[in-house]
Amino acid sequence: MPFAESLWGNLVQDLPLLVPVLFLWIVGTLMLWPLGSWLLKSMPKRQWSGITFVVLLVTLVLVFRTPAGQGFSGMFQVDGLTTGFQILAIVAAAITVILSQPQLNALKEQSVEYYALILFSTSGMMLLVGATDLVSLYMALELMALCIYILVGYLREQDRGIEAGIKYFLLGAFSSGLLVYGMSLIFAAAGGKTTNLAALNQALALAPRNAELMIFTGVILVLAGFGFKVAAVPFHMWSPDVYDGAPTPITAFLSTAPKAAALGAFVRLFGTAFNGVHGDWAAPLSFMAAASMILGNIAALRQQSMKRLLAYSSIAHVGYMLLAVLSHDAQAGAQAIWLYMLTYLLMQGGVFAVIIYLQGKGEGERIEDFRGLSKRRPMLAFAMLVFMLSLGGIPPMLGFFAKFYLFKLAIEQGFVTLTVLAFLTSAISAYYYLNVVATMYFKEAPEGEAQPMGSGLSIVVFATCLLVLVGTCLGPWLMDWTARIVLV
Amino acid sequence: MVPMNQVLLVSFLLFSIGVAGVLIRRNALIILMCVELMLNAANLNLIAFARHSGTVAGQAFALLVMGLAAAEVAIGLALVVALYRKKDTVQVDGINLLKG
Repeated sequence: MPFAESLWGNLVQDLPLLVPVLFLWIVGTLMLWPLGSWLLKSMPKRQWSGITFVVLLVTLVLVFRTPAGQGFSGMFQVDGLTTGFQILAIVAAAITVILSQPQLNALKEQSVEYYALILFSTSGMMLLVGATDLVSLYMALELMALCIYILVGYLREQDRGIEAGIKYFLLGAFSSGLLVYGMSLIFAAAGGKTTNLAALNQALALAPRNAELMIFTGVILVLAGFGFKVAAVPFHMWSPDVYDGAPTPITAFLSTAPKAAALGAFVRLFGTAFNGVHGDWAAPLSFMAAASMILGNIAALRQQSMKRLLAYSSIAHVGYMLLAVLSHDAQAGAQAIWLYMLTYLLMQGGVFAVIIYLQGKGEGERIEDFRGLSKRRPMLAFAMLVFMLSLGGIPPMLGFFAKFYLFKLAIEQGFVTLTVLAFLTSAISAYYYLNVVATMYFKEAPEGEAQPMGSGLSIVVFATCLLVLVGTCLGPWLMDWTARIVLV
Repeated sequence: MVPMNQVLLVSFLLFSIGVAGVLIRRNALIILMCVELMLNAANLNLIAFARHSGTVAGQAFALLVMGLAAAEVAIGLALVVALYRKKDTVQVDGINLLKG
């Protein structure tokens, strides 16, 4: 059986690349199987999130130990970009898992499946950022998204939960339809011979002139599909509703991990396969970036709900990050996005920890609820102040350095108009972030006090606050250093 | 052999019907079916061009798309059932709590 032998040989050779992903699959499956769920059910429910957290930490170690290389007939590649964005996905999942514990306890909705789905979704993201083939890219994207559809609709006893789940699912399915039709057009235009990204780039360069329309349509459809995944204007309409209706820890997850993974794949796909047809997608993508910055920031101005405010502001942040996708230098673009996403992840995790801390039982997420927080809980208010200033990109906070890096790259690449627009809109964003700060420090506290929810959260709040503050002091050096160790 | 232009035309028609259905129809189940049409339009392209060039990459892709479509439908139907239990309707116009 020479065929089986060569198959086995290739598998043994390539498997080391997938060790972290396989580890997540095995643990996730064990959690769902009778034995694993029996073991888990014999211990207190509140420990499940701790176990999941440890699993994610082990995965993080495995990611650092994975050798660089390419395998599975050019389907999957481990390089700096893969490792870097895998780390982002795991850190985001770990923050989500810690945030989930108190919230799900309060709602009495702890279940093994919830944590297993987070693990499976994370494994999808880890595959997505390393995918170097249309087939593996689509498969990983669906693995990531399918798990998140369920997580968004997880509180199915609440009207808002199921509504958010249905909305996210229908638009997500529609967008993956656009994406895969776009991919099929690209595949057809390239002669129907290959789905490998690097080979596609060469094949598209040789495509006959009458295939130009097909390539253009395909690229635009793929762009739209990715636009849905990262919630860029004009494909953003699901995001505020879904952020609002999903369980708060899942909102935190949704606003960081899938965006990081999708942006990583975005850079790889457009930097490799569509590099030769840069002219086809540069203008639409610039439009998407500009529209996201403007609309995201302006719509955030009039929000009363904290989760919706964060939804619109995250649309704006994606707009800034799309500037780096536009760059002709995929490596530098990936680096800028990685740094931005890392700081965004920390700030966002901290803000959501504060929100969950304040939520009594699924309520209390309006900006008004932050009135007088500086008197009631001074430390918490200070942490929120740090996160808000940092999200607004006000120097010398960590968020400022990330933005500085990104805008510097955009100017070097010659996108001066877009960068000026980004500066102006981020000045608008300072208004609504500072509005929250003003509410905390200068408005009187309401009657009655929200019920505090647990000590795990305060650890998250203070750890991220500390990280952001340390980053503030050592900002520029730290940025250079982290970028160098990860994205070589 | 069927000319490739006609394959592209048919798949484009299928895709357009799917997109139009998603945008026009308000029944969650019909929207799901229209998404399936969009995926199958893509499958048609993939298979036809793989056959045209005599390689198998596209056919493997089409098989994978079918499998993922089935998984997607399973989750979608579960969500629709949950919606129906809660609201007694599968019309997406009926869900409008989240706004702003």
